[in-house]
Amino acid sequence: MTDKFRENFDNWQKSFEKETKQSSDKAISDTDEGIEIKPVYTKDDLKKLSFVEENSLPGQWPYTRGPKASMYTNRPWTIRQYAGFSTAEESNEFYKKNLESGQKGLSVAFDLPTHRGYDSDDDLVMGDVGKAGVAIDTVEDMKILFNEIPLDKMSVSMTMNGAVLPVLSAFVVAGEEQNVKKNLLSGTIQNDILKEFMVRNTYIYPPEPSMKIVADIIEFTSKEMPKFNSISISGYHMQEAGADNVLELAYTLADGMEYVRAAMSKGLDVDDFAPRLSFFFAIGTDFFMEIAKLRAARTLWSKIMRDFGAKNEKSLILRTHCQTSGVSLTEKDPYNNIIRTSYEAMSAILGGTQSLHTNSFDEAIALPTDESARIARNTQLILQNETGVTKTVDPLAGSYFVESLTEELSQKAWEIIEEIEELGGMTKAVKAGIPKLKIEESATKKQAKVDSGNRVVVGVNKFKNPHEPSVDVRVIDNNRVRDDQIKKIESIKGSRNQKAVEKSLSDLTNAAKENLNLLAYSIEAIKNRATIGEVSKALEEVYGRHFATSLSVSGVYGKHFENDEDFMNVKDKVEGFEKSNGRRPRVLIVKMGQDGHDRGAKIVATSFADMGFDVDMGPLFQSPKDVAKDAIENDVHAIGVSTLAAGHKTLVPELMKSLKELDPNSKMIVFVGGVIPEQDYDFLYKQNISAIFGPGSNIIESAEKVIDLISKNLELK
Amino acid sequence: MKLAEKIINGERAAIAKAITLVESSKPDDRIESRKLISQLIDNPGKSIRVGFSGPPGVGKSTFIESFGSYLVGKELKLGILAIDPSSQITGGSILGDKTRMIEISKNPNTFIRSTPSRGSLGGISNGTREASIILDAAGYDYIFIETVGVGQSEVVASNLVDIFSLIVGPGSGDELQGIKKGITEYADIFIVNKNDGNLKIEASKTAADYKSAISYYKKNEVSSSKEVLLVSAIEQTGMDEVINTIQEIVLQNKKNNSFESKRCEQLKFWLSEEIKNIMQLDIQRKIDKAGSIGHFSDRIINGDISMYDAIETITDKLQSE
Repeated sequence: MTDKFRENFDNWQKSFEKETKQSSDKAISDTDEGIEIKPVYTKDDLKKLSFVEENSLPGQWPYTRGPKASMYTNRPWTIRQYAGFSTAEESNEFYKKNLESGQKGLSVAFDLPTHRGYDSDDDLVMGDVGKAGVAIDTVEDMKILFNEIPLDKMSVSMTMNGAVLPVLSAFVVAGEEQNVKKNLLSGTIQNDILKEFMVRNTYIYPPEPSMKIVADIIEFTSKEMPKFNSISISGYHMQEAGADNVLELAYTLADGMEYVRAAMSKGLDVDDFAPRLSFFFAIGTDFFMEIAKLRAARTLWSKIMRDFGAKNEKSLILRTHCQTSGVSLTEKDPYNNIIRTSYEAMSAILGGTQSLHTNSFDEAIALPTDESARIARNTQLILQNETGVTKTVDPLAGSYFVESLTEELSQKAWEIIEEIEELGGMTKAVKAGIPKLKIEESATKKQAKVDSGNRVVVGVNKFKNPHEPSVDVRVIDNNRVRDDQIKKIESIKGSRNQKAVEKSLSDLTNAAKENLNLLAYSIEAIKNRATIGEVSKALEEVYGRHFATSLSVSGVYGKHFENDEDFMNVKDKVEGFEKSNGRRPRVLIVKMGQDGHDRGAKIVATSFADMGFDVDMGPLFQSPKDVAKDAIENDVHAIGVSTLAAGHKTLVPELMKSLKELDPNSKMIVFVGGVIPEQDYDFLYKQNISAIFGPGSNIIESAEKVIDLISKNLELK
Repeated sequence: MKLAEKIINGERAAIAKAITLVESSKPDDRIESRKLISQLIDNPGKSIRVGFSGPPGVGKSTFIESFGSYLVGKELKLGILAIDPSSQITGGSILGDKTRMIEISKNPNTFIRSTPSRGSLGGISNGTREASIILDAAGYDYIFIETVGVGQSEVVASNLVDIFSLIVGPGSGDELQGIKKGITEYADIFIVNKNDGNLKIEASKTAADYKSAISYYKKNEVSSSKEVLLVSAIEQTGMDEVINTIQEIVLQNKKNNSFESKRCEQLKFWLSEEIKNIMQLDIQRKIDKAGSIGHFSDRIINGDISMYDAIETITDKLQSE
């Protein structure tokens, strides 16, 4: 038998070599994770399995094959579309429509001011209200959001991390006022603050008090809300920020370990809360890798939890939500995104996810329309009803390739987890900035692969569509939403019992000083109609607001272009520029408003510096006025604004105004990059914006355009 | 209005453009720059210039954010020149100091300029001295010059400022052994940062190490006011002591005339540096023009001529021109 196999294998090697003129040992493809992919896998590869148990079945330890024995054969995954925009009224309408059309669970997107604990009437947030999610200022908004949606029946997922206390409180109070007791509420709150410090930046307080709040919520829900998942430990945003699958897997599980420790430090038994921990992964375009990642995640988590001494089987099982990759979507030839999302959804299903969000194809451009949201939802309905994928549990088990990939991912991730543990856990690693830097390095590498053409993105760097379709997008009238919210806040503040509000807020502050569990105090304040901002400020008094310092990688981008003609061309231009102008082209790269997604800004900064530019980096969360001061004082040639949260229509005009105020003769070049619908281009050009770079722009080409614009501008002077 | 007047009026954009001018490597700009500086030097302000140096990671920018907030809270105007190291390989740089100066960068009473070091000696860029003259003329009460401390830099940086301070972290006392002399010579104040949380004990110990190190030299020196201070940039503690110490040293130095004599010494240093720079550029140009280095080195390698004969021949030729 074995001899027959050897003979076959030798013959296969010969045929392979004949067909490809290359030995099969040499025909290895690389992946972002540094895993070598062989052209063929055989039963020999199964001998190398150590994390993966060959004899295990679905619902059995180490749960590689799925958390449940029956999986989708009994009940398919939950179609859970993440949505929210504008006011609570409009989001509520949208939710009800979706539920009627076959969606099963809700997933709420909040706007950035809510995430960062600011009320809609705060001057700091004027560009962000209702933009990338729904604006919630008080429990009244939360009640409207779930109007006619019975909270005892509907499971609700909420992406909330920074302002997790007031928002969860508002959810609980909204339930109570619908006559639903909190022990009947089901759903999930993201409550994953560590990844905020790494990638998403919607934190409020410093790491230590933030971890205390996470633990408070785990403790409270484990006692009072048994059907509610207290945390959704998220790798999603890491992959979105550019992490490869090993980094995503390792850091997510390491975050999970840190939360387990935080909860145990409250005196809870691991089995009291571990069954309510849930996970959230991104599913990108690398089809088999993503399947293997979900299988590896379950395998490793069961081992981790056993080491924590968990006895209840439910504590050992990793349950996860997945979302298709937003960063894989392109602005160019956007209908391709429907196809990308479909394959990604298939990966998530073959990997055994418990619920899934499929992105709308227009999300690289703007918020989804009713139409694009319908297509996204139907992607899953077709998978469930037409393809037959629900009929067999873990159909890829036993695949030489998928099992090997699962094993290799497990091993690589485990190494990183051990490194983090040696550093003293994720809170310490995050404070030292290590994961953030690793993720940025990975992101820069990925971008360089696309810009250099080593990685094909259809419609972007190859097979471009000569007739780009134009797509209708949803437009949010940010000023109207803000005015509506301000009116509601004023009317609530006018009618509430001010004394009761003040007392409950000062009780909350005191509870923070005395290190008590804060959730009950926060619920009381919210019940009294304190605003989200007021509750956040009451805690800020004790904890302060966190400002992240930022480190940058350098040389990673340039390394991919050592002999690249276009790259060298820009470098030469930069040096020529220095000779004739007495200094290098100098560019300030900024983010404005409450949008903390800084992957794009960081990649642009490091790659521009690699091409020889002097690049000023501004802090996060700057106002247009701060940016103008920074730009004028450093006498930069150009400002690059990175915007991903739809704030550009408010913030960019403000910036132009502030520049003129500080220097009436200012001829500074301003360019914008990020998610900007084509419909807004004219508006921006009328504001004297010199260039707009959408998602998927080639950075070398962009850099060349910027230096040309600067040179032309100097000649005109 | 002329640039100099706009600067004296404190116009932000004019100050910024003037700094660009004095930092420029373009020959035309250098002529303009000298004219401008001559005008400004005749209208001196009353700034106190303070240098902050220290090894990477010790929290210099965070300290400046913290100390700066304290000063602008007292209605003082603060100019900051932050020298950021550039990448040697690409020549480009990421100027990220301001990401740690969030509060003060917003304040209308501050002016913060980052400058890439361009690999010049001691992390001080060309034009730092001139930039501080511009900020002085523009009416800033304090001018901070922040540099990365890498060996030589203390010497150059201390020659630009009235008071030079070194920021160090807890546990750095061990490194003192070998470098006592150099440090005590150039620094007026030692600031031990991170005196917070569980680093407090270590920070106090480090401060004691520095105190004992400087006590050796205190007796022999003319300017005897060297101080060791404990601060926490994150908790904003020890800031009043830093400003008090700065003010005391200034007062004392003004009394015994060492404040002015130091500035005179620095003028002398500047003069000789400028002459050296100009001569060096001139010589380099001549050598490039003669093009003989490559030619002679080939001949030395081939054994046609000895090293010393080659040197003599080349220098003779240069001097005769």
